[in-house]
Amino acid sequence: MQTFDNNLIRAMAPELLLCAVACVLFLLGVSSRAAARRVAPVIAAAALLAVFGWQVMATEASATLADQYQTFRVFEFATYIKMLAAGVGVLFVLLAWPTNREATGNSALDFGADAGEFFGLMLLSIAGVMLVAGANDMILLFLGLELASIPTYIMVSISRPLPVAQEAGVKYFFLGAMSAGIMLFGFSYLYGTTGTTSLHEIATRFSESARLDTGATQTLTAWQQLAVVMLIAGFAFKIAAVPLHFYAGDVYQGAATPVTAFLSFVPKTSGFVALIKLLFVISGGAWESPEVVQKLLWVMAVLTMTAGNVLGLLQFNVKRVLAYSSIAHTGYMLVGLTVYAVTGVGADANVKQSALQGVLFYLASYGIMNAGAFGVLMLLPAREDRGLGLGRAKTLPATSAETFEDLAGTGRRNVGLGLAMAVCCFSLIGLPLTVGFFGKLFLIRPALDAAHGEDRTWMIWLVVITMINAAISAAYYLRIVATMFLRPEPTDLAAESEPPTSTGGGETSGTGAALARPMPILIAIGLSVFGTLLFGALPPATQVLDLRASSAANIEAASLSTYVPMDDEDEPATSPAAAAR
Amino acid sequence: MSDNFLLPLLLIVPIVGAMVCALLPDAKVARLWALVVSIATAVVAGVLAYQFDWRAGDGRILYGGGIDSLLQVSTINFGFTLAADAVSLWLVLLTVLLMPLAVAASFDSIRERQKEYYAWMLALLTAMLGVFVARDLLLFYIFFELTLIPMFFIIGIWGGSQRREAAGKFFLFTFAGSVFTLAGVVYIGLRCDTFDLDMIMRSVREGVFSDSERFWLFLAFLAGFAVKIPLFPVHTWLPLAHTEAPTAGSVILAGVLLKLGTYGLYKLAIPIGLLAPGSNRPAFPTLLHVLGVLCLIGIIYGALVAWVQQDIKKLVAYSSVSHLGFCVLGLIALNDAGVGGSVLYMINHGLSTGALFLVIGMIYDRYHTRDIDALSGLARSMPVMAFFFILFTLSSIGLPGLNGFVSEFLTIFGAFTSDHLGIGYGVIAATGIVLGAIYMLHMTARVIWGPLKTPAVHGHGDSHHDPERLKRGANADLAADAPAAQQPDAMTRHDAPAVKPPTVSAVPAAEGPTLSAALHGTQSDAGQGASPDHTPGDLNGREIAVLMPLAILVIVLGVFPNLVLKTIEPSIQQQITQADQQPAEPRTVAAAD
Repeated sequence: MQTFDNNLIRAMAPELLLCAVACVLFLLGVSSRAAARRVAPVIAAAALLAVFGWQVMATEASATLADQYQTFRVFEFATYIKMLAAGVGVLFVLLAWPTNREATGNSALDFGADAGEFFGLMLLSIAGVMLVAGANDMILLFLGLELASIPTYIMVSISRPLPVAQEAGVKYFFLGAMSAGIMLFGFSYLYGTTGTTSLHEIATRFSESARLDTGATQTLTAWQQLAVVMLIAGFAFKIAAVPLHFYAGDVYQGAATPVTAFLSFVPKTSGFVALIKLLFVISGGAWESPEVVQKLLWVMAVLTMTAGNVLGLLQFNVKRVLAYSSIAHTGYMLVGLTVYAVTGVGADANVKQSALQGVLFYLASYGIMNAGAFGVLMLLPAREDRGLGLGRAKTLPATSAETFEDLAGTGRRNVGLGLAMAVCCFSLIGLPLTVGFFGKLFLIRPALDAAHGEDRTWMIWLVVITMINAAISAAYYLRIVATMFLRPEPTDLAAESEPPTSTGGGETSGTGAALARPMPILIAIGLSVFGTLLFGALPPATQVLDLRASSAANIEAASLSTYVPMDDEDEPATSPAAAAR
Repeated sequence: MSDNFLLPLLLIVPIVGAMVCALLPDAKVARLWALVVSIATAVVAGVLAYQFDWRAGDGRILYGGGIDSLLQVSTINFGFTLAADAVSLWLVLLTVLLMPLAVAASFDSIRERQKEYYAWMLALLTAMLGVFVARDLLLFYIFFELTLIPMFFIIGIWGGSQRREAAGKFFLFTFAGSVFTLAGVVYIGLRCDTFDLDMIMRSVREGVFSDSERFWLFLAFLAGFAVKIPLFPVHTWLPLAHTEAPTAGSVILAGVLLKLGTYGLYKLAIPIGLLAPGSNRPAFPTLLHVLGVLCLIGIIYGALVAWVQQDIKKLVAYSSVSHLGFCVLGLIALNDAGVGGSVLYMINHGLSTGALFLVIGMIYDRYHTRDIDALSGLARSMPVMAFFFILFTLSSIGLPGLNGFVSEFLTIFGAFTSDHLGIGYGVIAATGIVLGAIYMLHMTARVIWGPLKTPAVHGHGDSHHDPERLKRGANADLAADAPAAQQPDAMTRHDAPAVKPPTVSAVPAAEGPTLSAALHGTQSDAGQGASPDHTPGDLNGREIAVLMPLAILVIVLGVFPNLVLKTIEPSIQQQITQADQQPAEPRTVAAAD
């Protein structure tokens, strides 16, 4: 028996790299020289870019790695998630780039204090997502989830020196701890009822029990059901799904905008990856999930998107709107996962895969389009704090734009930013020529497919409810666009700054209305908009991403073919390709 | 079967033009550029029409579809493929005719953020043309949805005082309907394993879809198209959008955007959903009757509501609800006369209603009111305008000899002779014509004839005479949203420094309370046609040039309707009325695979 496993190092290399860089950044954070702290975001971005490039280049062969105990297994699914986390992570580093307090409103993030720590925490959280993606052992899975979450608790608290941020941090921490406890409880039952911590072993056991029943539907014992429900509850917190979504509004509002952007993607991804793994495990790889899980997911998907969208309609704070929209998008992705759980071996095998592919594609598209929306918010000033004793002209807002009042009319003065926000919002609505359109398309297509193969009217209803929700969501996204473009600026502002000079309304450098434009944030917005349009309007690019998601979604084949089981003669039947006949 | 590169060019010219337009340095250049680009698009369409083999019956012009095509997503078999048959080509011609006119008509009325405005107009042109020439179902849907964005901004930024509400309502209504269409589109793509319309039609004729599937698909299509058309219960966005949109927006909205809905019904919903596979009979007679009754309600209700409108634009907007009822009624008659008349109706309605909106816009540019009570006897001061106004009104009513008559007659004749609808529908629809004549002539009589009465070009504006508003008076947008301007009277947004006491040109005795309410000022730099003594003049040369092509077409199509009818007949027969006599495999496909 080897004491040192080369494969483990190779398989975990991206995570290890990010953790090592995070440690370096922690050290930089205590450096007394400001110049040293100033390079922290550069290092963080470089590390993420390196990982991103590495994962993009990863071929199928190099992507299939595992250590000797099979606790950590990397195949294309994990590679895809790592690529996504690193790629979108770069955007988040750029968004959080500590420029100055006026620019982003993140006063804790100026170079004076916490930059090193902040970016270190960010890298650790992203490393956590990657760990979740590769974990094949429930303990490692749990550790990965917590590694993704715990840094975010700190990030929320230190993001800005306002009471709301502290409140948000504490709230997030306590609720997160509770959800972690529930999740761990669920893991313990899962271990207790199966006798192993290896996800793969558990999957194999479930698949055997499925074959004993000769039916396509799994059955769970009462204890296992309890375990699964608790696990889903724990993951629901991470992905902000009903009924564990309550924190989202307050926490997203309290945190500084770049942290909010981070929260809306990274912990969510970790939760979704874990949920996918759980569904994979309890369905024995390729079978339908137990009926109770199917129904649970269906109800969760419907409640989550409906609650997210309806509550989103009622908000006055744009960050809260985006928080509830984030809940709604969780609901859309849960639609895909519901289809994933409902379908199984046989005629449905490829539907199962395309459902997962839809979720993975949507995850990518959500990451791309959402970052831009938050970026635009960061570059617009808040108006409430204007003139707090420091004289009107010189006063610079302490936070970035948050309410609709802050946004009113800004699209006219800052045409570029306005258009970027419009593109992101239209993509979040799901209008054509944006990646959000294809995201929705790839989500509802398998749902319809699942509905027509067998008699599953409830999947049709799921699609109908999804479409109704898409229409509801259009109302509040459109409100953002309309506020920026169609509403006039508040009269006092307009009066003191020069009226728009040209009829074209170009980018006049208005006084006080536009913040200094830190280049990194502009780059992040540019990349986000570019990605949104590239993957939405250019079919070849869409296809590339789709194919990538498609091969990543093929987790059954990938994981089972590389796995060496005790009894190999039973194994081929487990792979969906064989079972599909 | 070779690719015709004029088809993609038709879409590329305006969108590239739009991008360039947004970057142009000067507003004056931008509007000329927009005119040039829209005319260039019209030229491309003209060449296409010239190349098109009108006699061949079901001739088509195709583009795309090669296996090696880069513009495709092969995982879902979505590709950038285009085709134009006779019907779509006529609608393309209608679109490219109206767009330059709409652009030219905006020269005076759009005074701010002109570059953006013309860029959105050109983008809208691409989206509309794309709907008509798409050969891929998903592409059709994409263009269908894309029309929302430019129109949202056009209404929302350059519209009247309630523009924000109107724009939001327009977008949300249409989007809420069409999300269900998306579900239907995706389902069809899934079952047929392609989005190519030719192959889908073949699958449909072979009976791939079961009855219940087609029922739901039809409803899914109807959800999107009925809002766009708009059919009776979901028409409520239309009057507001029409009233608030700038003139050119109304022209395009009435002229083309509404036709997207009827075109979708004709092209997709009826062949895929309503017709039984491989036949020309409806699979769901009850649904057909429900639809027919909705049309009738729309015809009568639209006409009655139009009758009582005070705002000329709103009146014409409600008349659109009524007219589109005829159009859909003809479609669901499912016979040659009905469907042919309906397609002709799409074109004629585009011409005459578009023209009416143009004339109303010209009146509005001069008097800044559209209130029927505030205007009277315009024929005395603007005889040329009155000529066009009456011509288009008569065309809209359906006077024999003008274009509206033929299509109205045919749709009603179609309803009469239809195997599925019957006499009752024809009779009730025919009363709609009578009502149409009543409300249009009622309005014309009051506005055009009678003693001359116009609101003053310069208002007093005493009630709004505070210094702060004066300062901001130059910026109409700000004024519109200032609290003082939140009054029901739309005129107040043009409040400007008062220079004169109120002057009513003539017949002060007729001045009622509504008039004085409408008198609150207008822009001091009022209409283009303002003559030195501040009495707005008659139409100028540019305006006559805008209206003249429409006037000629109104007469030409009234006298020679066969120009359209004969050419579209084969397409219609293949599509709907003789779907049973078609071979299972349409002769036009093949090249794609």
